[in-house]
Amino acid sequence: MADTDTILQVEHLNKSFGSKKVLQDVSFTVQRGHIVGLVGPNGAGKSTIMKAILGLFNYSSGHISIDGEAVSPTSHKAMDKVGALIEYPGIYPFLTGYQHLKLFSKDGTPKAQIMDIVDKMKMGGYINRKAKTYSLGMKQKLGIALALVNRPDLVILDEPMNGLDPQANKDLRTIILDLAKQGTTFLISSHILSELEKLVDDLVVIDKGQIVYQESMAALENGSAKLLILKTSNDSKAKDILTQNGYELSQSDQVAVVEKADTKMPDIIKLLSASDIDIDDVQHVHSDLETSLLKLLQNDKVKES
Amino acid sequence: MITLIKEESFKLLHKRSTPAITIILLVLMTAFGVLAKSYPKFYSPRTLFVQSFTGDSWVVLFMIAACSSIIAMEFQYGTIKEVLYRKYYRGQILVSKWLTMLIYSIYLFALVFVYSLILKFVLFNNTFDLGRKYGAEHSVFTSFSYTLIGDFVGLWLILSLVLLLANIFKSSAAAISVGIIGYFALGVIAGLMTLAIQKWNWLKWNPLNMMNLSGQMNTPSMSKVTMLSTPELAWGSLAYTAIFLAISYVVFKRRSV
Repeated sequence: MADTDTILQVEHLNKSFGSKKVLQDVSFTVQRGHIVGLVGPNGAGKSTIMKAILGLFNYSSGHISIDGEAVSPTSHKAMDKVGALIEYPGIYPFLTGYQHLKLFSKDGTPKAQIMDIVDKMKMGGYINRKAKTYSLGMKQKLGIALALVNRPDLVILDEPMNGLDPQANKDLRTIILDLAKQGTTFLISSHILSELEKLVDDLVVIDKGQIVYQESMAALENGSAKLLILKTSNDSKAKDILTQNGYELSQSDQVAVVEKADTKMPDIIKLLSASDIDIDDVQHVHSDLETSLLKLLQNDKVKES
Repeated sequence: MITLIKEESFKLLHKRSTPAITIILLVLMTAFGVLAKSYPKFYSPRTLFVQSFTGDSWVVLFMIAACSSIIAMEFQYGTIKEVLYRKYYRGQILVSKWLTMLIYSIYLFALVFVYSLILKFVLFNNTFDLGRKYGAEHSVFTSFSYTLIGDFVGLWLILSLVLLLANIFKSSAAAISVGIIGYFALGVIAGLMTLAIQKWNWLKWNPLNMMNLSGQMNTPSMSKVTMLSTPELAWGSLAYTAIFLAISYVVFKRRSV
């Protein structure tokens, strides 16, 4: 039994399509109220994991539990607490957006609760139109609204930003952050890492069906170096002087000083000015999620099976 | 389960084709009624009434389309994920679809039954008497009722196969084609089948032979052709329906979506 702060627990999940192993010993946990990003290259197994969590997929071995209740294609009780959008939104062309929300909301859901999510997603203008007239972005919004309409404890979103315009993107971010503050847990996969970066507390990185990294965002940021990149009148001389004075330089063509707690910009300027080196430009470079992730995936030791 | 049947009915009722089918059915039956009224030599009013003014044949076609789409549309629209990832068991979801179709088919047959009687009294009130003997054994009304009952059992034999194929192929086109071809194939290969049954007795248990149920209910001497008694045909039909539905159930439960 998991501790009460864990809402989702995936243990030793294995899945093969024929001889191809798509998931290998996948284990991770998701803490209640956290926003967790599930990232990895195309075909890494993100959707497969999400489908397995939703009881849509048979798996060869392993255990999944939501709030302590086991989930499998034949055991769906815990699904009452889950909302999801997987791959692309499933939409009946002959129903209106409102009818979709009514159809998939629990019995006795008040109209106000349905309209609440409609307003938040700014879908009021077309919610009573038949879905066959919807654009890609409108369908995507409806798919997200369907995942949220029952106010679930755990929300699983697969590429939720697909097809959304910048405003809708920002709205979605606000909704997710608000709900998370109120205790809703999110598991989100996305290729748009710059968007994901603004949202997630924790990160699960998967490559070739295996978990290669599971940490909080804060840990990932701390683990990556911050650099001071200088453009000078004489780069090679500047590099020598900085090294002699105990600064650590990153392996680079540029003058890239690794920032530490005691690294002070005025000291560096004084030091270089004293040697008659002009500083033309200074840049703080903080490695973003994309850089960290690409590095992680490059270094990972997962072998193709 | 009632919630799920309500959901399926909600979807069914909001399809534009659903109300259209009721109207088309009534229009077609009226058209045949009027034809029989105008050309009683070519279209015997009594025979057409027993055949419910062609109503039950149309219901077969409409139900084949409805059954294939109630399964296949979920895969086609991608809504199968939303339908399945909820607290309900998969079996419940599939059975709710079957029950919705059962209710729909009962509605259509009831409509055909009532509307045939209305047409009879409006157009042919004095033409023939419901109590008169029709064919070898029964009255006009009994023959009419037996035809509907027999066709209903036969219909579900076809529908169980259509539901299974829609489930396997995830495509309504394949299921509809096989359903309709199967339905018409009976007429085409009936003669051939009779010969085959005479030669290999065990072939009498093949599902196509079961489709003769309604015919044999009205003409008991057909048992010389089908080589089975009427109850045997009825039980056989129900058994095949149950087998096809059971295979569907297993396929649906094991499917990864």
